[in-house]
Amino acid sequence: MHLSAVDVTAVGKSYGGARVLDNIHAQFREGSFTSLLGPSGSGKTTLLRIIAGFVAPDTGRVRIGAQDVTTVPVHARNIGMVFQSYALFPHMTVADNIAFGLHRRGIRGAELQRRVADVLAMVKLGDFAQRLPKQLSGGQQQRVALARAIVINPTVLLLDEPLSALDRRLRQEMQVELRRIQRDSGLTTIFVTHDQEEALTLSDHVAILDRGRIVQEGAPIAIYERPTSRFAAAFLGDANFLSGRVVEGGLQVGTQTIRISGTVTPTVAVRPEKMTLLPEGASTDGFDNLLPATVRQVVYAGAATTYLLDGADGTPLRVFAQNREGTPAEPGSRVTLGWSAAHTIPVTD
Amino acid sequence: MTAATPAGASAKAPPRALPGWVATVALLLPTYAWLTLAVFLPLCAMLLFSVLTKAPFGNVHPQLTTANYMVFVRQPYLLDVAWTSLKLGFLTTALCALIGLPAAMALKLGASGRLRSVLFLLIILPFWTNGLVRIFSWTMVLREDGFLDMAVHAIIPSAPSAGILFSQSAIVIGLVHGYLPYMILTCFISLLAIDDSLIEAARSLGARWPVIFLRVILPLVVPGLVSGAILTFVPVIGSFMEPRILGGRVGVTMGTVIEDQFTAAFNWPRGAALSFTMLAVVLAIFATFSGVLRQSAARADASS
Amino acid sequence: MKLLARGFILLVLIFLYLPIAVMALMAFNASPLYALPFQFSTEWFEALATDDVLLTAARNSALIAVATAVLATLLGTAAAVALHRARFPGRDTLRVLLLPPIAIPWLITGTAMLLFFFWTGIGRGLHAMLIGHVALAIPYVVLVVNTGLSGVRRDLEEAAKSLGSTPLHAFFAVTLPLLLPSVIAAALFAFAVSLDQFVISYFLATPGVVTLPVQIYAAIRKGFTPEINAISTILLGVSMIVILGFAWLSKAGGALERR
Repeated sequence: MHLSAVDVTAVGKSYGGARVLDNIHAQFREGSFTSLLGPSGSGKTTLLRIIAGFVAPDTGRVRIGAQDVTTVPVHARNIGMVFQSYALFPHMTVADNIAFGLHRRGIRGAELQRRVADVLAMVKLGDFAQRLPKQLSGGQQQRVALARAIVINPTVLLLDEPLSALDRRLRQEMQVELRRIQRDSGLTTIFVTHDQEEALTLSDHVAILDRGRIVQEGAPIAIYERPTSRFAAAFLGDANFLSGRVVEGGLQVGTQTIRISGTVTPTVAVRPEKMTLLPEGASTDGFDNLLPATVRQVVYAGAATTYLLDGADGTPLRVFAQNREGTPAEPGSRVTLGWSAAHTIPVTD
Repeated sequence: MTAATPAGASAKAPPRALPGWVATVALLLPTYAWLTLAVFLPLCAMLLFSVLTKAPFGNVHPQLTTANYMVFVRQPYLLDVAWTSLKLGFLTTALCALIGLPAAMALKLGASGRLRSVLFLLIILPFWTNGLVRIFSWTMVLREDGFLDMAVHAIIPSAPSAGILFSQSAIVIGLVHGYLPYMILTCFISLLAIDDSLIEAARSLGARWPVIFLRVILPLVVPGLVSGAILTFVPVIGSFMEPRILGGRVGVTMGTVIEDQFTAAFNWPRGAALSFTMLAVVLAIFATFSGVLRQSAARADASS
Repeated sequence: MKLLARGFILLVLIFLYLPIAVMALMAFNASPLYALPFQFSTEWFEALATDDVLLTAARNSALIAVATAVLATLLGTAAAVALHRARFPGRDTLRVLLLPPIAIPWLITGTAMLLFFFWTGIGRGLHAMLIGHVALAIPYVVLVVNTGLSGVRRDLEEAAKSLGSTPLHAFFAVTLPLLLPSVIAAALFAFAVSLDQFVISYFLATPGVVTLPVQIYAAIRKGFTPEINAISTILLGVSMIVILGFAWLSKAGGALERR
């Protein structure tokens, strides 16, 4: 039987009068990389800390491996955690930091040395064993924190926004490293972030949280292409929202009837890259949906251009266009936006 | 790699965490039990004694009375003594403030960085040494044929004796010497919290130094000044060692009277009553100024 | 302006150190009556070596100071950790309750202790003085250790727990090593507080069982001997060294804890 590595059932948590987590159900498959994605205040860090054991849930249960750990203290849960500020012990060397968890598990001597050396090689810090944390750069400290957490071979690896303190380029490098290490080690990983791009890049599975609830979860491509709520559509990527009256055949927006794939809802979302900008006079064949609009602003970025437009009723719209033609449309010009029904996504508000 | 569970986990029943409050109580109990035994119970006992006719030792069975508190009415000279103590408190505090605030300002303006830290340490250092020894050292300076006397006579040989030991002035000098560093400390911490840019802004708006001092600096340094004043005034009105050593027969304060009750007159109930009256005054002062004191404490925490 | 400021500070420093300097100087003066001219001599210090009364008092002071330092640091550090980490109703009240020993004039606390100890049979003497000194030192220890704790990051203990440390182990393996400079500084402070304590010792002393400050006081009241000068100078010197050590440690502690 393929048991999931971590199981969260009906977990709820309130602080004071505020409900921080509400009826959370989540399963984390063995060996998977799952991101908990959401804005600040969404409860994602609280959920991670409940799984880790630093916070006790008001309701619900947490299972890690074969064990119900809801009442088990942190130190007995066999987790590996990487903190946002790395939390390296300043009075110990890199090697001692990494050996800490192994010591707690009774591993000594030659085997200890071997495992420390192996994991240092894995994060490419083989020469840094005797350094002190304050002698390391941010990126190096991050890798030591990671090594310290994975050397103990935990049942689940928990990461609390570990890359947020790094600059952009370093961050992207570390994302690649992290993914490689996770694949090599096969550890079940739960990763908290507010950066949707990061979540999409790294994860097998994404759970979007908003104000204490999981609003959607699934593989990155699935939730990107088919967001079910306005929040998910807007938080993960960009989206155009069209609202109107539900009629036979679609959604009545202004004078147009928008065709949708699936059940019609009063609000639909269309991703900006799925729309094509048709200048005045161009052929409108082949598009299920057409909408007139006026170009308000053109943001030229070389390979791609972002158009900010106003719809007929003033709705703000945006379109991402790859730079195939070379001459972007002018601000103020009237255009028609065309896209397919398949890319029109019904969303709840 | 085989998974190894940490030492705390067992294969059977997962360990349950001790309720957090057990650890907290265990950590706090020794300290507060000790303080209860050493401070709170004694104070309660003193309250009890103060309403008894006699100390309840041996076979004596005393009765309740308020006579001990009425002693101010029956012996008016005690009012004089109390008033003297209060005057001593005010005078000492005022002098400490008049010297201390400028000193703190001088420290902020006149030095920076390393030098400032060193000077600050030098100023504070005497405060944490033995008060008795410091008072004793003043006897050497102020007595007849002491340092001051000899210095004055070295310049003006025909001057009368400048040995001012065993006078009120000597007491004041000794007390000011004792508490000045503390006043400088509290004022300095308050001054440190004043952003320099405030002063620069005032200057750019055309204000001159007297105005800047009155309108910008003084209001912000008041908490430090007040807390220093209170923590000088309170110990001073209760002092007995300084008045006795530096004042001799002239040095009669509430402190010396209370001390007498316990070590010479052995009228403990009366001593307790007088002590408690003083305590009431002290608590009243703290209560009145508690807001300011808390603010200063918070600032001291932040800057340490 | 700067010159004026520095001049004023100099005057203040002269005022503060003048009597101390005079006393120290006179301790080395051969004349028993301070008569000038100054003649260097260490005879008073040598006389100390045979003054049993003063030596016993000094020994008592030192013993109590060491015991106070140990006890107050243990109790105060534990209390400081609990007050800093745990959240519970009444925590602020408990914090305020630490103030009476230092805020209430020692005359009142001292007489109250005398009264209570005599009445309950605890009696006076070295053990009573120890009880009093520790009670006075604990608030200072809590203050110093609390400041140190603020510098130790919370997530370090969490990281240790996530790696398998029980809360107790996490404290001893991670927090305490980082807290050590503050703890030692607090111990030094407690030592100095006890060594210099006069009022409480005065009321809790019995004939023959006194601490050094109490003995010095008695000697001053009786009449002066130059040995008092010598022992006072030594006492002052020791206090200063301890406080300087404390100051150095408090600064040194900060460097290790911060990243």
